[in-house]
Amino acid sequence: MGTVSETMSPVLGRVRAYFAPVNRGSEMPTIFDPAQSGGFALDAPPAPWVDLGWIDGFVRKCGTKVVALRSGAPATTQMQVRTEIEATVAFAFESWGKAQLALAAGTQQMNLLKTVTGATAEGSGGVAIAATALLTGSTANVLQVGSTAAAGFAVGEIVAVDVDYAATTGFVGSGLSGAYVKSALTDVDYVRRVTLNVGRIAAIGTGTAAGALTLECPLLAGVPTTSMKVSGVVGFCDREGSSFFQEWSGLFVGEGQQGERVVWFYPRLQTTAGVTEDVAASLGGLEKARLAGSFRALPVVDPVDGETVVCFRSYVAG
Amino acid sequence: MQNAKDTFYEVLRGRVAAVNPDRTIVLRGVVRPGVLVTENELVSSVNLPDCFRLSWTAVKTDTHGTMPALAMQCEIAYETAGTAVNAGMDRGRCLGAMDGELLAAIGAVPQSSLKSNYAGLEFGAAAVAMKTNIWWGDVVFGEMKVDDDRLSRTATVEVMSYEEAGEL
Repeated sequence: MGTVSETMSPVLGRVRAYFAPVNRGSEMPTIFDPAQSGGFALDAPPAPWVDLGWIDGFVRKCGTKVVALRSGAPATTQMQVRTEIEATVAFAFESWGKAQLALAAGTQQMNLLKTVTGATAEGSGGVAIAATALLTGSTANVLQVGSTAAAGFAVGEIVAVDVDYAATTGFVGSGLSGAYVKSALTDVDYVRRVTLNVGRIAAIGTGTAAGALTLECPLLAGVPTTSMKVSGVVGFCDREGSSFFQEWSGLFVGEGQQGERVVWFYPRLQTTAGVTEDVAASLGGLEKARLAGSFRALPVVDPVDGETVVCFRSYVAG
Repeated sequence: MQNAKDTFYEVLRGRVAAVNPDRTIVLRGVVRPGVLVTENELVSSVNLPDCFRLSWTAVKTDTHGTMPALAMQCEIAYETAGTAVNAGMDRGRCLGAMDGELLAAIGAVPQSSLKSNYAGLEFGAAAVAMKTNIWWGDVVFGEMKVDDDRLSRTATVEVMSYEEAGEL
């Protein structure tokens, strides 16, 4: 891009969203370095960022308050101070998926595990079918379950991959904490109910590859351990009134028409609203329900100069 | 303005050729991809079927920025009588195929391209890359019309560009 065009305001089209885990135990977000990765291909974000697709109605609000300190008679502003640092961001996802549902809900988002026959009805899914153990040799894309167990799965099916719940308390869920357990539960499948470590089966191996479930996309948590198990999922469920606050690192990219790029990086985001949808007009006089969310940015310390900040805006020339 | 128009034509022609290499026309004795700009061709009272005919109509300007911005309306007309082997009974499918090709060509990412100056081609020189991109919106399809044995449609797309120094 020539220097002449850098003087023009970016003409942005749609905004693309990405997310990455925040380690809840240590409150460590995933850091995005625009100097190193600001020009990444939109379809191939740098690890561990996960593509959330296009979003609509991207609105950033600054709630930071700047107050004048006055002295003298008549009072004259001598200096200014920031008394509150606040930033929020709101948007609607253009697509529905596990990640979009979970982040928009802002709380634990349940995987509806396949239930045993005759299970007692529960609002977020009854007693699940016993999970399938993972064998050695699994990767983030390929789950080795053995040929007998593989016959119990189907191409196109969604699976949740995580460890058995072992009566512990605290954050649970591999890759990204899916819930916080305040007091011990009895459901051995609870972690797989709330995990974001899910995938859709693209192929089931045959012949020498028998017993391998190939996923459409890599698992969020990467290569699974052999302590993890696989449960079939029929859908997802979230609940108004849940106590857990989901937290994630957010990255939003707007591409200008001259090759430039505006990148908004929020190291820590938590929801400011309950579970809701945004209804928009669709073709044919119908309406489409979009997952809407609004989020508050939480602070991190920028080690470059020790400043406490809540979001970063970068302009990357094309 | 002319460079933006020429660049958009070049991009669209290349993309249509990539989507459907078989969509070709013979124009002034030359076989070429089935995209033409009417103002660049001989005046004719006959519309060439099974190709995309570009016409530039309305122009809007925004002179408030450092560089003047232009938004030019491009009308893309096309029509088909179907194929002879099917006695024209596939004309609806053929028009649908052209709709799809246009949608794919214009909607492909990125919807922008580096602007080039093609004035030198007249003298055998190569096109010269300029400093800014052109960009365009989504295609808007008009109603299908029936004219005897032909089905036709006109689609529109808005093409934007900055006027660089020396273009005015």
